[in-house]
Order: sequence, then C-alpha cells, then structure tokens
Amino acid sequence: MMDKRDLGKKIFRWEGFLVVLIVVEVLVFGGINPKFLIPRVLLGSINNFMSICIVSLFVTFVLITGGIDIQAGSIVGLTSIVIGVLWNDAGVDIYIACLAGLSIGMVCGALSGFLVAYTGVQPMVVTLGGSFLYSGLALTVTNFSSTESYKGISGFPAGFIQIAKGKLFGIIPSQLVIFLALVLVSYVLLHLTKYGRKIFLCGVNRNAAEYSGINTRLVVMSTYILSGFGASLAGILLTSYLGTAKTDLGKEITLPVITAVVLGGTSNLGGAGGVIGTALAALLIGLLRFGLSMAGVGTQYLDIPVGVLLILSVAVRFAGTNERLRAIPRYFKNLFPGKDCA
Amino acid sequence: MKKAISIVAGLALLASTMAFANGGQEAAAKGTKKGITVVFVPKLTGNAFFESANIGAQEYAKNHGFTVKYDGNPEASVANQVTVIDNAISTGADAVCVSSVDATGLDAVMKEAKKAGLKVVTWDSDVSGDSRTVMVSQGTPDILGKMLADMLADSLKERGKNPAKDAIKYVWHYSQATVADQNSWQVAGEAYIKKAYPNWKNVAPSNYYSEQDAEKAITIGEAILTAYPDIDGIICNDSTALPGQAQAAQNLGKKKNDVSITGFASPNSMKEYAKADVLARWGLWDCKIQGALGCYLAYYLASGNTIKVGDKINVPDIGTVEVLPNTVLDSKAYTASDSGVVLLPERAVFTTANMNNYNF
Repeated sequence: MMDKRDLGKKIFRWEGFLVVLIVVEVLVFGGINPKFLIPRVLLGSINNFMSICIVSLFVTFVLITGGIDIQAGSIVGLTSIVIGVLWNDAGVDIYIACLAGLSIGMVCGALSGFLVAYTGVQPMVVTLGGSFLYSGLALTVTNFSSTESYKGISGFPAGFIQIAKGKLFGIIPSQLVIFLALVLVSYVLLHLTKYGRKIFLCGVNRNAAEYSGINTRLVVMSTYILSGFGASLAGILLTSYLGTAKTDLGKEITLPVITAVVLGGTSNLGGAGGVIGTALAALLIGLLRFGLSMAGVGTQYLDIPVGVLLILSVAVRFAGTNERLRAIPRYFKNLFPGKDCA
Repeated sequence: MKKAISIVAGLALLASTMAFANGGQEAAAKGTKKGITVVFVPKLTGNAFFESANIGAQEYAKNHGFTVKYDGNPEASVANQVTVIDNAISTGADAVCVSSVDATGLDAVMKEAKKAGLKVVTWDSDVSGDSRTVMVSQGTPDILGKMLADMLADSLKERGKNPAKDAIKYVWHYSQATVADQNSWQVAGEAYIKKAYPNWKNVAPSNYYSEQDAEKAITIGEAILTAYPDIDGIICNDSTALPGQAQAAQNLGKKKNDVSITGFASPNSMKEYAKADVLARWGLWDCKIQGALGCYLAYYLASGNTIKVGDKINVPDIGTVEVLPNTVLDSKAYTASDSGVVLLPERAVFTTANMNNYNF
C-alpha cells in the first residue's frame, strides 16, 4: 500500500505536473500557430525571458530560508549601469567591468542579507528598502557618465554582445546554455551539498537549526548574496543582449520572479522547494506569454493568464495538503464501496 | 463650400494618379497592397497620449484598408519593447511603427526586424537613424520654438499689448537643463524671439526648472510670479510645467489678462484652467494624426514602396509630406538616402474654442 502511494507521489510530483503543462502548452500553441514550433522562433523567444529565469533560480534559495527578495530587479539595473559607466567613461576593460558589476551585486545582496539575518527586520521590509536604495544608487552612478541618463550607454564591443546574443551550433541561444549550466550548479548546491541541507533546515525551523550547531545567520545572509549574484549575472546578460546599459533594466522582473519561484513549488513560508521546479515554472510562464502573443493576444493582457495560472496551480497544490479538502474524494469513495477501496 | 471643393479636387487628383499608375512615374505613390499588418508599439499602454494615437491609427487603418495591431506593455521598458518587436517578427507582421523608450536600446532588434523583411518606422521617440527607415516627428526645434513664441505673441495681442513694440518681459519654465528636446526648443525659440521681437526681454536667462515634478512646478510657478510681479509672459515648454504654472497663477489670483502663460501640454490637462480664464492658448501636436501617419508610412513601405530623402509622399486625408534628412532633428545624426524624417504637417494650438474637439 505504502509503496504504491510513494510511487504515485514520485510520478505526480509537482515538477512532473509542470513538465506536463509545458508539453501541453507547446502542443496547443503549436496547433494554433505552427510558426510557434519553428526551432529558431521558439528558441529565440527564450532569449526574452532568460533574465527572469536566472534571477528566479537564486531567489529560490532566499525563499527556502523563509525570506523574500524584491530587490533583485534593482540590482539588475545597478549592475548594468555600473558596467556601462566603467567601460564607457572610466575606460575599464569590459570584462573587468563585468566582474566589478558582479562584485557590486553581491555586496548589495550581502548588505540586505546582513540586515535580514542579524537585525531580525522582516525580509520584505529590508529588500523593499534595498530596491529603492539600489535603483537610487544606479541613478547616482549615471551622473558620472557623459551620456544622458535617459539615453543608455551603447556601442559595446562585439565580443561582449556575443555573450548573450551568440548561438551554439548556430541555433541554441547562448543564454539558454548559461541558464542550463546555472540550473546544474544551483541544483548541486541546494540539493546535494551540506550547505543546501542547512538552507532547508533554516527554513523549516531556524531555532532547531541554530541548536544543532548551524550558524543560521550566516546561512541566511549567504542566500541573499547568492541572489545578488544571480541578479548581477542577469544584469550582465541583459546589457549584452540589449546592447545598452540602463539604470531601469530589470525593474519589471520582480513580480515575475516571485511568481516563477512560487509556481515552481517553493513554499513562500520556507523550508520546502527546489530549483528544478523554479526553472520549469519560469520556462512555463515565458512560453505561455510567448505562445499567447503568437496566438494574437495583445501583450498588455498577458498578465491575466499568468495570474490565473499562478492562483489555480497554487490552490490545487495547497488543496492537496488540506485535510478537509482531502476528505471530499474519500467521501465519494465511501459512497461507492467495493470499487478501488483505498 | 471650400471643403467640398478641396474634397472634389482631392478625388480628382487621386483618380488622375491612379490613371497614371501604370505609367510608372507616380506609381510608387499609390501602389498599396491588401492584407498588410502594421504592429503599432507605444512606449507604454494605458497612457492618454499613446491610447489616443492608437485610436487615430485604428480609424485611419480601417478607412484605408490595412490592419494595425496595437501591442505594448503597461510598463515602459526596453526589454518589454524588445519582446514586443521580437514577437512581431515571429508572428510574421509586415511592418512595425515604434515609439522607442530608449534612444539606442532598440537598435539591435530593429535591425533584426529589418533583416527579417519587416519595414521599420518610428514615431514620437526615435532610435538611431541607421536602425529605421523613417521617423514621424512632431516638428523640428525651429518649428516648435517659433510656435511657442508665436503663441505668446498672440496671447499678448489678445489682451491689448503690442508684441511688436512694447517692452515685453518673459521667462522660460520647463523641466531641466539636461532634457534634449525641450532645450533645443528653448534655444530655437530664443533665437527666433531675438530676431522677430528684439523689444522683448528675457528677465531670467538661466530659466526656471521644475524637473517634471507636479508639485515643484506649482512652487516654481509661484516663485516666478512673486519675483516678477510685472512679468508679461511665461513660456512652459514642458507638459508638467504648464499645468503647474497655471495652477500657481490661479493660486495667486492671476488671470489671462494679467499675465500670458503658454506652452506645451495635452488639451485634457489644461481644459479646466482655460475655462477658468487662467490662460488663453497652449499647444501640442495631434497625436492621433501622428499615429495615423506613422502607421500609413509603415504600410506604404510594406506595400513595396521605397522612401528616399527628398521624396514627397501624398498621404490620403493628411496631406503631402516630404522626407527630410535626419539632420533636421539633430545636426550630428546619421545621414543616408534611405533614412529620413517626416514632419507632422501641422501642430495644434488649443483655445477654449477648439479644446473640446480633442480628447487626450
């Protein structure tokens, strides 16, 4: 009996459900508009939502500790403009500028993480403050530039543009390759290392984690550094992909990122979740938006199906753990005894 | 009667060009195809300016046999616009007509669109000249600077001043010294005033700036009126500065017969002040016509026509427009024969008499 249920659980794990949804999406949208299935078109569309995918991978870590990160979008913009100003106005080599951008993103994450972990202020409040602070800093950085802030810095070397615009074997976007590598790295980090176990434990019960000898403050702070790193990386890729460095890049990704993480099966209360689910959910949302717009739906209405998908899927997932709701199928089973008795 | 004659003349012209269509001379001007889809991209959706431009474009497209698909994001950002244009390429649209949120950020995707065979037009806000074929602009700095000065002169005349002889005291009040377009209008306007009205005096040559902040616009507006109680005219070439300045005058009990305030703002944002006699006239351009013209040119190009600098294009219902070199907007702009600027044939001056005809 138990074996059967465990098997069922494994097959119908949340990630499996997401995979099914993605397949359904591809089939339905391919049916509506066959152009959707052209590899060049389908893979090309992925380029447009890769920054959300990458940021959400690392924000997953934060949510598992029971925190939340709504500053990632502003770190994307800050990284972008730092790279632009360093390269354009300070004459720094573009790749060194990227390293500087990454360091700044991690420092920003560390600052917020420190405040969350060591002062006990709610993560929502700290990262909300962080989002204003870092986007404000980004605007300050533009003052060191000779380019007007509304214009954006462009004209980057071709090598840098190729980071996000390049294609493996002439078809697979390099951003997708980078994303898959990051999925692997973050999967190993979260699910196969001792550090990953500590992150989960911090989210399940921070006191218990503390008493079992884990430096929970350091672990919590480190997740914000990781999410700062992810945001910075997205900032570099977005700058490379768009060919322009601007302060407001990434400002619209905050909510899509949280959506992807929660839809991916990570609990917003902490303690449960995973990066594979996040990665699948981010792809699911991106393909849904692209597919609908290929089917002729106006871009401004695309938030509606995403909202419906999020609410429905989370409701279904929670219904599974709710005792009263679980009683309903049992009730029907009892009405028809004899058939498939559990 | 005059209108009827012009319609008849227009029809005759149309008929004659159609008759010559096979001759090859004027053929390009009228050769338009059926089933063309133009994707019309605003900076953001839900904004009165862009929504009414869309209404103008849709009405025009319906009357002239092509399809305009309005596609934008409620949030103005480069990444969002890139996605919209990418999707236009993927769905196989024939042309895009874009108001860019960024002067260079869309260059790459616009070039990709061109490579994929789409025709690429911008309106309202441009990208780099080599990334699009034609830009529909509201006007050159010279045109808009002169328009501002002329609106002030007309308002002064209306309240018994003689702009040609009296020693008129005026100031400029706009967003800030770094905003490229507004400064170019101010510089051109000053040059025009020096020549046409040498008797006028700018009492604050360093200008007043309110940084597109609605409250600051009122504070600065009141500061101007208190510092110069005998000021004759205030030019507000910014759509936040103008309502703020009018509110300031209203707060201090000044009306259009005490001081002439004018500038650029949408009709809806100023109707109340005009009704309360705080200002006599202000201007802008009709964004409905701008949207329609942009989409028509995209459609015109997608029908297989080409545009060269110096060409004159007859746009049905709007008028004949000339393709000017990119340098009319910015002297440092990219120049090539296949990349140009088209100016809106006219801009609109609003008064209490006509303001209710506009809704944006």
